[in-house]
Amino acid sequence: MSRFRIIIIAVAALAWIVVGLLVARGPQPEIIVPAEVITKVGFLNISNTMISAWAAMIILAVGAFLATRTMKLIPSGAQNFVESVIEFLMSQLEDIAGSKNARRFFPVIATFFIFILLANWMGLLPFFNAIGKTEDIGYHLFHEIEEHHAEHKPFDEEIAHASGWLVDDTGIGLVRPNAGDAHFSLGASPETPVSPEQALDKYVVFLAQTFVDFDPEDHGAVDDGHGGFEVTAEMLTAAIAALNADPDAPKLLDGDHDHGVASAALGDELIVGGIDFPGQKLALIIPLFRSVYSDVNNTLALALISFVMVEFWGFRTLGFSYLGKFFNFSGLIPFFVGILELLSEFIRIISFAFRLFGNIFAGEVLILMLTFLLPFLIVDIIYGLELFVGFIQAAVFALLTLVFAVMAVEHHDEEHEGHEGEAGHDNMESQGTPGQ
Amino acid sequence: MAKPERGGWIAPTAYLMGAGWYFATCIVVGILLGLWLDSLTGLEPLFILLGIVLGLTLAIGGGIRMLLPFMKRFGGGANGASGGGE
Repeated sequence: MSRFRIIIIAVAALAWIVVGLLVARGPQPEIIVPAEVITKVGFLNISNTMISAWAAMIILAVGAFLATRTMKLIPSGAQNFVESVIEFLMSQLEDIAGSKNARRFFPVIATFFIFILLANWMGLLPFFNAIGKTEDIGYHLFHEIEEHHAEHKPFDEEIAHASGWLVDDTGIGLVRPNAGDAHFSLGASPETPVSPEQALDKYVVFLAQTFVDFDPEDHGAVDDGHGGFEVTAEMLTAAIAALNADPDAPKLLDGDHDHGVASAALGDELIVGGIDFPGQKLALIIPLFRSVYSDVNNTLALALISFVMVEFWGFRTLGFSYLGKFFNFSGLIPFFVGILELLSEFIRIISFAFRLFGNIFAGEVLILMLTFLLPFLIVDIIYGLELFVGFIQAAVFALLTLVFAVMAVEHHDEEHEGHEGEAGHDNMESQGTPGQ
Repeated sequence: MAKPERGGWIAPTAYLMGAGWYFATCIVVGILLGLWLDSLTGLEPLFILLGIVLGLTLAIGGGIRMLLPFMKRFGGGANGASGGGE
């Protein structure tokens, strides 16, 4: 490749990154491991991963219905596509499990594969993790301070979920590029507790810093030795004045001793009953859609289904002699091996659940972080990688369930022979077509 | 080496990735179980050592059981796993 061409590519890549940073940079992501609850129906929490799972189910059901509504002997269009997918999966299954077992396991294994694949790839759509309901972190922080005040309980640790973005939206919102972000820190620990009154002062100064570029150092902020600073009466008065000067900045609402938090620095001169955000809010967008398997509950559910199906096939084929695999009293070593086998069955559930969750959650975090750090070019490459990971993880889940199912339905005697080096052991080979 | 058949790389890749996670899970679960029992009984470091031994045994025992069929199926017979990249 000529030097000129390399320079052109490098400049184009750099320009792509710069444009991304200017127009498409996401706000600093708030990584929340558990799936966010969107709404509650009775005792049931409806999380964003559940909504995505339902969306995937609807797409599959409607897609299958439409593709097979008018089936023809010589397929075309959607029917052709669906048939080729099914044929491909069937050939892979037959290759590993043999034709008899393949037909038996196919509905479950193919459902696993297709559903996981669709769920993983759907998670890469642009509106995932981008559109959601606004959760007011500004109100949430004041509410926490109010609660501690009512209970006369000092803060001995930082407030959870104390970070947010500056957003205009209320209700349903979109994660805007280049939204400012802010993190409220109390500097609290069990050794250095912070009273609710001190927390209020720190919060007012934080609001002034975030919304009106108030600089505490101009008002004699001195490090208190824990990375924070002591809020003085003069600093607090200046911060309130700065907030009041800007019509769009948050406003402190008057309170009284029964309903409100008094200031530590100003005493009864300042009792705050609430905070009003007339302009931008400090909020987080809780996404309505999030990748289904970035939630460990969903991967665990799938792992349990896989476990139950494998055991079901094992019992159905071998009857109660299936238990002989785990409880073998013919000698000490077989007994020990059986117990290990039994433990392995349960470890598989954890292994299944965390493999899928780990891969998908890590991919999601990676994309969110890179959208913040280096949007466009690098994220595009990672999207490609995530397409591959989504596919491979669907294949891993389906294939391992299949292999464990094949191992479960094989007779113990066959297995024993196999351990002694006989070729007959291996169902993956003996029952399969010679695909090598 | 024979040319891979259509999609022939998927099964071995997926299988090995699955086996890798199985090893890791066994060891991590063994250690966490040991730590938990230690904190419960105060017999530190007895259970963490037992947990490590159990985790490793499960990982190696279960791993061999998972990999033997793999080597037979994908490993190219007598050459073991040398042809694993089919």
